[in-house]
Amino acid sequence: MANPVTTIRRTAEEYRLKDKKDKRRFWVDGILNNALYILMAIFVIYTATQKETFLTLGSLGNLLTQVAAYLPMALGIAGCIVLTGTDLSAGRIAGLTAAVAGVFLQKADFANKMLTFLPKVSVGWILVTMLIVIAIGAIIGLVNGFFVAKFSLHPFIVTLSTQLITYGIILWFFALNGNNGQPISGLSEQYKNFVGGTMFRLGGVAIPWYVLYAVILTAIIWFVWNKTTFGKNMFAVGSNAEAAKVSGVNVFWTTVLVHTLAGAMYGYSGFIEGVRSGSVAANTGLNAECDAIAACVIGGVSFVGGTGKISGIILGVFVLRIIFVALTMLGVESSSMYIIKGAIILCACALDMRKYLVKK
Amino acid sequence: MDEPRMEQQTPETEQPKQREFRGLYKHVKISVKTLDRIIIACLVVILVILALELRNPGFTITFDSRGGTDVPAQNQMYGEKLELPEPPTREGYTFTGWYRDPACDLPWVVEVDTVQESVTLYAGWEAVESP
Repeated sequence: MANPVTTIRRTAEEYRLKDKKDKRRFWVDGILNNALYILMAIFVIYTATQKETFLTLGSLGNLLTQVAAYLPMALGIAGCIVLTGTDLSAGRIAGLTAAVAGVFLQKADFANKMLTFLPKVSVGWILVTMLIVIAIGAIIGLVNGFFVAKFSLHPFIVTLSTQLITYGIILWFFALNGNNGQPISGLSEQYKNFVGGTMFRLGGVAIPWYVLYAVILTAIIWFVWNKTTFGKNMFAVGSNAEAAKVSGVNVFWTTVLVHTLAGAMYGYSGFIEGVRSGSVAANTGLNAECDAIAACVIGGVSFVGGTGKISGIILGVFVLRIIFVALTMLGVESSSMYIIKGAIILCACALDMRKYLVKK
Repeated sequence: MDEPRMEQQTPETEQPKQREFRGLYKHVKISVKTLDRIIIACLVVILVILALELRNPGFTITFDSRGGTDVPAQNQMYGEKLELPEPPTREGYTFTGWYRDPACDLPWVVEVDTVQESVTLYAGWEAVESP
């Protein structure tokens, strides 16, 4: 029979050891789980020491406009990720809608106007165009959603094919009326002002109107995700489609609608993208989905499915943009930027898995 | 007193069971340790690339005034626009601008062109007609 006093002493010793180990574990967990935020902090501090213009109000304004431009696509793609899917067609859909919006809203007296029969640009026409391009995005999203839901095809396959098909349509579109693939420029002033006109100035940097639109869209998506049956169904389907089906959720329509909504968001992204870059080329929107997916994963919209918050997505877009604004300021070449981007996505996925595994 | 309770829940003899993945990671089999290594490796890659990038002090823009007064070289970062120096002067010629090639076919457009690599710019000269 063991001496009870020794046993107690031994356990006390073990506890002390355990305590140390736990403390270490706590720090390791803390550092690794927040690796990307720490990375961002390193970038910010380093850039701030190198470039005094980095920590200014104007820089913040610049960051804000960038976030507002990238946020809608991330909000759209997040829905697909919640459904344990993804969407590879996002960038091309935005490219197509940017081209359509650009052609519809070209200056009336522009020499190379592609479609001359279009009406003169007015506020009404701008709104109609916006609805048209959002509808185009939604239709492609509907196609995505239909194939994913109806045949349980993996979204990778479906959206990869729609990505390529959309690119084909973009190239067709750019060949219309003897345009021969030239970038679409000569966007009308009304369109430019409607999207990119100055709302107010922050530290000398003009804050465009699309920042306000992004805020409105975020509020709408927040409402849809958190306050509607559709949003709750989306999370239910994402965490367990079988269970959701049994409890009476229409999995088919939920999936279709999530993709359609996502498509509409890409359509809107395209609408502002043309003004943001001044002209629309066939490659506008290329690889934009990678940024959006990375932002979602950083922001805690897990590939495991069924989890994600709007605030997380906003944070994710912010983190990614801060990193890229810092890198651009430091003069990092685009080739290295791609490698860093890839490493960030891999790191974010590993973090995503890690958080899931160590969660108690 | 949190620790003793935790001790009871996961006794050391029983290995804590790893959670099964769902969704996109359904078939992934990976341990937390491996994930930690991947995360650290990614961070190292990012920082090394950044360090390599920043070691590069930028690109040198050399100005070949081709017979005119000397123009000092500039050091610029990738993607920046050039601030062109004071134009050189040359007896009997007028300066027409900076070109990417000695034949003066490809002009350097200040408003548009950005620094992508180290380049030499050549001065363009036009002979002044002597009256």
